[in-house]
Parts: sequence; C-alpha cells; structure tokens
Amino acid sequence: MTRRWLRWMPAVAVPAVIAAGVLSGSLPASAGDPLPEKTPQQVLLMIAQHGEKSLSGTLEQSSEIGLPELPKTGPGAGSAETAWLELLTGPHTARVYLDGPGKARVQIMDRMAERNAVRNGDELWFYNSKDNTAAHAQLPADAAGRHEARPGAVATPEDLADKLLAKLDASTEVTVGPDVQVAGRAAYNLVLTPASEVTLVDSVAIAVDGASGLPLGVEVKARGQAEPAFSVAFTALTLETPDSAIFNFTPPPGATVKEIPLPAHHEKAAVPPSDPAAAKTAKRPTVTGTGWESVLEFPAGTAALPGQIPPQTEVQDPAAANPLQPDSSVAAGTSSGAAALLEQAAVAVPGGRLVSTSLVNVLILDDGRILAGSVPLERLQAAATQR
Amino acid sequence: MSSEKSSPSVISGAGVSPGHTPGGAPAAETVRRGGQSRGLLASELGVLFRRRRTWAMLCALAAIPILIAVAVRVSSAVPPGRGPAFLDRITQNGLFVGVTAMLVSVPLFLPLTVGVVAGDTVAGEAGQGTLRYLLVAPAGRVRLLLVKYAGAVAFAVAAPLVVALVGAAIGAALFPVGPVTLLSGDSIGASEAMLRLLLIAAYLAVSLMGLSAIGLFMSTLTDVPVGAMASTVVLAVVSQVLDALPQLEWLHPWLFSHYWLDFADLLRQPVAWDSFLTNSLLQGGYVAVFGALAYGRFITKDVLS
Repeated sequence: MTRRWLRWMPAVAVPAVIAAGVLSGSLPASAGDPLPEKTPQQVLLMIAQHGEKSLSGTLEQSSEIGLPELPKTGPGAGSAETAWLELLTGPHTARVYLDGPGKARVQIMDRMAERNAVRNGDELWFYNSKDNTAAHAQLPADAAGRHEARPGAVATPEDLADKLLAKLDASTEVTVGPDVQVAGRAAYNLVLTPASEVTLVDSVAIAVDGASGLPLGVEVKARGQAEPAFSVAFTALTLETPDSAIFNFTPPPGATVKEIPLPAHHEKAAVPPSDPAAAKTAKRPTVTGTGWESVLEFPAGTAALPGQIPPQTEVQDPAAANPLQPDSSVAAGTSSGAAALLEQAAVAVPGGRLVSTSLVNVLILDDGRILAGSVPLERLQAAATQR
Repeated sequence: MSSEKSSPSVISGAGVSPGHTPGGAPAAETVRRGGQSRGLLASELGVLFRRRRTWAMLCALAAIPILIAVAVRVSSAVPPGRGPAFLDRITQNGLFVGVTAMLVSVPLFLPLTVGVVAGDTVAGEAGQGTLRYLLVAPAGRVRLLLVKYAGAVAFAVAAPLVVALVGAAIGAALFPVGPVTLLSGDSIGASEAMLRLLLIAAYLAVSLMGLSAIGLFMSTLTDVPVGAMASTVVLAVVSQVLDALPQLEWLHPWLFSHYWLDFADLLRQPVAWDSFLTNSLLQGGYVAVFGALAYGRFITKDVLS
C-alpha cells in the first residue's frame, strides 16, 4: 500500500516544485549592492543629466482609471475614433527603439495587429496593420533636433518624467523611496506626493535607473485605490544602439498611404494636423486654481467635439493625444463609438454631465463648457460658477 | 558499451568469451530494451498514422485553408478590417492563407483533433481490451506511457503543419505569391515568409503539448475513450472561456490556452520571442504536472482489460 502511495509522489512533487519556483521568482530580488543614498535633488539631476539616447526595450502600460474597457472584438473594435480611448482603458505592450534624437520607432503590439510610429531623421511614418494604412509626414528641417517632435503613443517614461518634473513646485513633496527593480535593473524610486488634500492623485512614483539616470517607469496612484491608476514601465531594456535597419520604413505594397501636411509653424503642430478647421475653432482653455488643484476650462463650442474631451492633465496628455491615429479627426467623433462610449460613461449631475475616473473628473456643462481637473466634482462645480 | 571497448579481442570472440558475459549482458539488455522502445514507438506511430480516423482528421484540417482560399477567390475583395485577421491580405499574397487558416483553427479544430488523439492513447487500448497484452510484453508501464505521449505529440506537430503547408500550397495555386508584409509594416521575401509560417506551426505544436498531456491523463482515468476525448476537448473550451472573462484576470497567465493566439508575435519585425518562451515554459509546466499525474494513475492502475 505504501508503494502505491509512493507512485503518486511525482504528482505531488511536481506542482510543489513549480509553485516554489514561481514564488521564489516573484520575490523581489534583493541580491546585489543597494544603491548609494541620494537626495531627491540628486536623483532629479541624474534624470536631467542622463545621456542615454540609444536604447531598445519593451514597455508595458496599464490603466485602471475606472473607464469601461472597450471591446477587443466585434464591430467598432479598434476603429480610429475609439483608438485614443482604447489606449486609456486597457493594458498595452510596446517595443521602443531609440537611436539618438533623430531616430525612433514605437511598436504597439496589439493582438494580431500592430501600430507603428517610425521616425528617421525628418521622415515620420505611421502604420496600422489592422486596416493596412500608412501615413507619412515630412518634418520641417529645423525640427530634426527637437525633442518634442519625437513620436510616441504609449508615452516613454522619459517623456512622462520630464513633463512631471517641469511641474514641480511648492505644491509637491518629493522623496526618494526604497530602491525598486525595473526591467532587472536597480532603480531609485522618486515619489511625488501632492501637498494638496483635494486632488484625486495620491502619489506619482518615478523609477530612475541607478546606473544611468534613465527614467524606467512611472506609476500614478489615485486616492482610495490600491492598484496604480496608471503605470508605464520597461519590462526589458538594453542600452545599446539598435540595428539601424529598424528605422528604415517603406510603406508595404497595397497599403493606403496618406500624406499629412505639417505646418511649418511649431505652435500649430500641437493640434491634430489632419483637421485644420479644428485648429481655427478651438479656443484656448483657461486655467483656474494652482498646482494639483488646477481646473481646465474649455469654452463653449468645443463641446460638440467629443474628441477634445479626453482628460487633459499633465499625466495623461501624451496618451490622449495619440499621433498613431492621424485620421481620428475630432469632428468625426460625433457619430462614432467614442461619443457613444462617452454617453455611457457620463452620469447626469446638477448642471451637466460628469465623466468620472479615478484620476480625473470631467464636467460637461449644459451650456457647452467643459471643465476638467484632477479634483472632486464639487471643485469643478465651484469653478464653473465662478464666472 | 564500455565493456566492449575495454577489450581489443572483442571482434574475434564476441559473446563467447566468458569474461565478457557479466558486463555484456546488461549492455545487451539496454540495447535490446532501447531497440524495443524504438520499435514500440515506431509501431505506435505506424498504428496512429495508418488509422483512417487520423487521416480523416488531417483531411478535415487540410480542408480549412482550402475552404478559405476558395471562398476568398470566388468572392469579391474583402474590405480591410473585416473577418478574421489577415483575411484581407490573401488576395495580395497567397501565403496568408496558411496564417489565416491556422488562426481560424486554433480555438476549436486543433484542440478537437489533438483531444481525440490524446484522449484515445491509453483508454483506446483499454477499451479494445488490448492494453493488458501491451503490458504483458516486458516494456513496462512507464515506457508505454512515454510512447503513447510521443504518439500524441507527433500528431500535435503534424496537425498545424498540415494546415500551414496545405494553406501555403493552395494559396500559391490560387493567388500571387510575393514579398509578405509583416504586422510591423516591413516586407520580407517569400522564402523567409515560409520560414515564419513553419515557425508558427511549431509555436502551435508547442501550444498543444499541454493539452496532449491533459488528454493523456484523462485517458488513464477511464476505459471509455470517448469520455477521455470529450473531457479533454471540453477542458480546452473551458480554458478559453475562462481566458475571456476579465474578472479572472489573475488566472489568465496560468491557463494553457492563454498564449495560443499570441503566435502573431512571430509576424513582427524583429520577431518578438517573449511569447514563444513564456508559452513553452507554461506548456512544459502542464506536461510535467499532468505527466506526473498520468504516471501516478497509470502505474497504480489495475489493468483488467
């Protein structure tokens, strides 16, 4: 009888071994020397001074901001109008290749599809394999060295960190937390905690590579939510120059190629270039409040363009303005899935409708004005009645 | 083997020398048993691929790309973004017939056929009453189990390969073949595309290893082959249903069907090998767990039929 039980030993031992292996693998690797102590200023300086301009890596981005996840299949899935919303609601994996300031490639790996943004010098290409469309833009010659012109739909950690640090002022407490491991590298964890009690943002953590100073990941936490509301981080990273063939892109035969005329003036490059009409009608938003409590107010007239409703905060700006969908003209949104989804996500509140996420509240007033901010609804309503 | 090398007089006095007998006998025994398991494997594969049922299943799998190709050929152009992925590419490049057919057959047809073969392995012999004759031969139960699993694996390799090759052939016959556009927008030559196609077939074969092991375990539980087949196929479907429920997100990376459709990563430029690696690890885990379970069950089983 004991022999009989011995025969079942492998069936017990194998799962136990696998479980042990998984558990030991998921424990934080504490091996190796801890990074030397640094003050927040020194870490900030590391970011500012890092010279890593060539890398290839894999980024993972995930959002838990409380918006309903878009269907991945079925009619309307992956349509151009909902693409920017899709970037906000689900997890994404992207491969990033950089070689100096002039060469970049971002590949957003969808299931059975891929979206590409390639920059090689002043040539800019977008390619979407789902409908086999490509778009081409010729950057103005003087933009070749400009940092801002780099494409990126899933924002690289570098972009996000730069934007956040530019916003730093007395409103924020900056500390360096315990070291973290990102993409197998020891990293400083720079934690920004808003001093304000009002804002929805609980903390923003930036992982900074201990060796090179390259930002490796950004994690935004919302109040009252254990999971990070938004995170983007490298899962694999090498700081070597990628194969230069990666940056050569020619549109595949059979693809629909669209030429995007880029205005020479830099100011206008910020608005969707495919819709010059929107550029004229869009009025500049006004800002009330300071720091984390800022409320953006879009004047009436922009309300008919649901494409402009995406929460416009410093955190989500790069994800919302999605350059991979150059044809997602804002005007088309009225009849699109985006508008329908917005209707679904919005709840009626006194004076208008509210689109609420864990990081941002957007109040669409009945008179057409739109207020957005990382603050509770009452603050938005107060800002609305101020004028 | 070593005992033979130790003496230079081996050629003249091969087995006759009494000095060689004690060392020579176990060596000869291993050789004999090794040859025996090879023979067992050969006969298992022979029986499997001579069966009319196996051929019927392979023919049914081969019909998928043929149906797709003919349907696309006789209908008007498929608008991009409609139907299964890659369907709209077929008219430009026939090799995509193979990719589309593999994509279509992953959720049901491949698990169905592999489930039938894997579920039949032990239970089929038991159901026919031939299992105990197999065990009378001094092959041993472990060896029989390994040979049976090898047979199921052979079919799991053959099934996606048939879909890919028939797809490529019918695609080449009905549509132009040229440079293939990858998901990243880069183009590769037809020969490299053929290599990618075979890689996808290999990915799917690896993907079906776990299901084969589950089928083998199910097969040791019962003497009714249909029961083992059905439960294996049902498990494959259940796994895919669970994979579609967002509430069970924590479970998803552990489901054996989770990476099945990630073979598209082989169609990127450069190839994203991560999913191939993760998938292989996961399938290896399933093979280990269900192999051990099948061992425990089959070794302790009272074979009455």
